[in-house]
Amino acid sequence: MYRIVLEDSIMQENKPVTAGSKILDKFVSPLTATVVNKLLDHGNTIVGKAKMNEFGIPNFFIDGSIEIPEAIKAVSDDIADYALCNDVFGQYRQKATEAGCCYIHPTYGTVSRFGLIPLVSSMDQIGVVCKSIPEGFKLLSQIAGSDGHDGAMFPEKSYDYANTKPSITLGIPEAIVSKADQETQNAIKDFAGIFNTVCMDLEYFDVHKQVMMILSSAEISNNISRYDGIKFGYRASGYKTLDDLYIKTRTEGLGLETKLAAIMGAMVLSQNQYAPYYEKAMKIRRLIKESLQFSEYDIIVLPGSISEDSYENLSLYALPNLAGLPCVSFAYKGQCIQLIANVKNEKILSSVWEVCMA
Amino acid sequence: MIDIRKYEGMAKVSLSETERNWVSSCAELLLKSFDELEKIDTDAEPLITVLDIKNVFREDVASKIISREELLSNAPEQYDGYIQVPKTLE
Repeated sequence: MYRIVLEDSIMQENKPVTAGSKILDKFVSPLTATVVNKLLDHGNTIVGKAKMNEFGIPNFFIDGSIEIPEAIKAVSDDIADYALCNDVFGQYRQKATEAGCCYIHPTYGTVSRFGLIPLVSSMDQIGVVCKSIPEGFKLLSQIAGSDGHDGAMFPEKSYDYANTKPSITLGIPEAIVSKADQETQNAIKDFAGIFNTVCMDLEYFDVHKQVMMILSSAEISNNISRYDGIKFGYRASGYKTLDDLYIKTRTEGLGLETKLAAIMGAMVLSQNQYAPYYEKAMKIRRLIKESLQFSEYDIIVLPGSISEDSYENLSLYALPNLAGLPCVSFAYKGQCIQLIANVKNEKILSSVWEVCMA
Repeated sequence: MIDIRKYEGMAKVSLSETERNWVSSCAELLLKSFDELEKIDTDAEPLITVLDIKNVFREDVASKIISREELLSNAPEQYDGYIQVPKTLE
């Protein structure tokens, strides 16, 4: 039916999977991810795996710029109809539009993560690179639904993404949109003109990226602690003791951005830093989630970029992952726009495309 | 510059001098940005998961997902049906 490319963090039985890391060199997956089984059951074909940054960690600091991921290129070059990816830091949402594609990031807990190599467990969610939003939702409907292998999921066995709400209200955070360049502001203004709008404020926007960085580095350092050279993956040679094996293996097997995440994670989880950083960030995460007023608007609109600095732009992409919300990104009049809906309200996003592209 | 050697030990990695300087400078930049959190009044419970879920235990029935042979096939070193590791006890 459709040709699918998988990011190389999604497992297929008896096939190599590396998550872009030397530390999983020669690792052969013993199982197939639930999403892959669901796709195959629907008659789709897995045409290949896409290279990725190590574990999906973007190069925020090595050169400050983020490249278009290979999974997106596979769809834009028509090697595949869709790609499945895990977009924790927003690089797929941001870069999809540069390649003429769209990205759908589902509600956390609606798509099984069984068979996905974890990065940030409280934020990981497999999403879809697609050529258009309606097409993307067709594929999402094939992979979404509860799975006994993933304990952190909503109970619904399937989801209907057909929208029934007759009119849509957009929430426009003017203070954030005004930071984007003039072309983006104009595109958002034209886009908003098609719908009802309300002005709103993302109360904790100024600390979105900090909260994201603290929580993600803590969870990354925990998730990559399994890569110890003992049971699977790369093992260094020339070690003398067990500790030596751990350190040599991880030093040789992990890249620099991953080591940064591991060290930052160790820092924010350490005894004297836990309360002011990690616990504080978890509390702010609750405040962020509770501050959203989806009774006043259906969709929050955010620009694709407000800075040349990738770390600054992280603020734009953190909200869906911090609050478990669905979102889509696509290009409108050449500019990247991100739309965020309430939990399990992807259906409202599916109809926006038809309205604005009509 | 922050001394990150203690955290290198926790993360079980060893950095070169150049890498250490780079990681330290990134850590300083990040920690400086984290100062913004102090301004937020956080009279709230920590949010551990965005899902409103309770722990559910499955039936205590053994199930086999992966065989011993499949697990060992990825082991870097193995001996006589076991994963081989350095001596851990003196």
